[in-house]
Amino acid sequence: MMSPRVNSVVFHTVLTVASLFFVLPLVWMVVSSFKTKREIFDSPFSLPTTLDFSVWTSAWERGDLGVYVVNSLITTTASVAGILVFGLLAAYAFSRFRFRFSKWLLLPFALGLLLPVQSYLTAQSRLFDAFYILDTRWALILPYVGLGLSLAVFLLKGYLDSLPHELFEAARIDGAGDFRMLVQIVFPLMRPGLATVATFSILSCWNEFLLAMLYIQDDGLRTIPIGLLAFTGKYSTDYPTLFAALSIITIPMIGIYVIFHRQVINGITEGSVH
Amino acid sequence: MKPDRSWTPYLFVAPAFLAFAFVVLIPALLNTGLSFMDWSGTNDMIFVGFDNFTRAFRDDIYLTAYRNTFGYIAWTLVLEVFVGLVLAGLVTVKGRKTGFYRIAFFVPIMLPMVVVAVLWSFVYSDDIGLINTALRGIGLGDLALVWLGNPATALIAVSVVSGWIYAGFYMAIFYAALQRIPANLIEAATLDGASQWRIFFFIKVPMIRPIIEIAVLLCVTGAFQSFDLFYVMTNGGPDHATEIVTTYLVEVVFRFQNLGYGAALATIMTIVVVALGLVFTRIRSRSGGIDIEY
Repeated sequence: MMSPRVNSVVFHTVLTVASLFFVLPLVWMVVSSFKTKREIFDSPFSLPTTLDFSVWTSAWERGDLGVYVVNSLITTTASVAGILVFGLLAAYAFSRFRFRFSKWLLLPFALGLLLPVQSYLTAQSRLFDAFYILDTRWALILPYVGLGLSLAVFLLKGYLDSLPHELFEAARIDGAGDFRMLVQIVFPLMRPGLATVATFSILSCWNEFLLAMLYIQDDGLRTIPIGLLAFTGKYSTDYPTLFAALSIITIPMIGIYVIFHRQVINGITEGSVH
Repeated sequence: MKPDRSWTPYLFVAPAFLAFAFVVLIPALLNTGLSFMDWSGTNDMIFVGFDNFTRAFRDDIYLTAYRNTFGYIAWTLVLEVFVGLVLAGLVTVKGRKTGFYRIAFFVPIMLPMVVVAVLWSFVYSDDIGLINTALRGIGLGDLALVWLGNPATALIAVSVVSGWIYAGFYMAIFYAALQRIPANLIEAATLDGASQWRIFFFIKVPMIRPIIEIAVLLCVTGAFQSFDLFYVMTNGGPDHATEIVTTYLVEVVFRFQNLGYGAALATIMTIVVVALGLVFTRIRSRSGGIDIEY
């Protein structure tokens, strides 16, 4: 039986090596963006000779990264807002009211959780085409909201189900109407649930790739995932610039994650286990 | 609770349901109908009955896609779920501070797939990639394969990337579940002299079995929904070695403009996924599912 001291060293070494596996590729990418293409080829594992941020600024400008970021911001914000508002309204009704057809109206949302989007992608694209939505922001916002609602409704309903009856009965006796109850009682209590759904939805929308690629051709409307793909196509061999662009996009995301890691991890794991 | 006015629940559900119907339900129904047609999107729709379906079952690429998908599922069950479980076990060892490691393991999940795909394509690159450069550097140049270009290694290579991304996710799920095991149970076992190893294997793991089952379901359904990584890293190549059902579907519809056939492929895939889901729920309820209340 090893001494506790040695045990500890071994333990932390193993975990450190494991952590490095997950983190090193990213670190390498950022570090490499400061090297010249020659340096990346010749000595990929060395440190850069200079910290030249001009590659980063040039990547930002040449790649029009600002446009992509703005588009992602608009699309994600609108979608998440829709998911939260519609989701809460629906979850509230499903959870607290007994009404005819409630089971039938809830069932489709369960299907939405199970089905890959490719199950109905073809028809969806034709439908959007018929309504002239393609190549507009709505082509993304509508599906993001629709798809995000599946999880949102179930998650929020779960939270709502756990609220005590007495709370609502007391409010009823006080003369509160349905809508007032929602705003004054339910909403304040649902903040953690809404935060969970928001975290999950923000991450899904921000990184969504397939629909963004298929439905948006206008370069001015591209979101980050597709913008980066286009950038990759244009600068496929200019590794420093490529890595710089990827780093610019990735570092803020990781920064936000590290700061809010508790909420993020809770949001995502809760969103998936339910 | 009875609503104020009988129509308020419907009003509240309406926006969500309408959005969902427009985006998922109606397309799903339309897609089923479309499976029986031949259509290129521009010419006339012709009703072809079950032709698309019979063609699907003779379509080698489609069948290969299923083989690859199931292969991918097998790999990711190990690389994502099992590795995640091991990591969760490591970070819940009694008395150790492991917050930092947990944060590190979870980082890759934040990343857009494009970043991951480009980064790892570079790592796997056969002439200038990190892996091969390192191998040559330590004299194991013979092992420097064309990871993504070799049909024998391509699927595994992509699966490893998938594991890199998601192992942390499963670790987080299992970690949350492990945290909810009553401390006194663990205490009792420790006092009885059991090693951390035995505690993990024989007590902790069985107690989080429901979560493990959910994780398996997530992994399987997730594998069917996988697209981004495969599309950007290999786009189904080399030679369809990494062609999965979703990539082939997208190719049939958006490259070959064969909407009816693509819809049929999608319908078959939906049936498979739903069947898997049902089988899974049946197995779960059959095995008793002892729910330990804590």
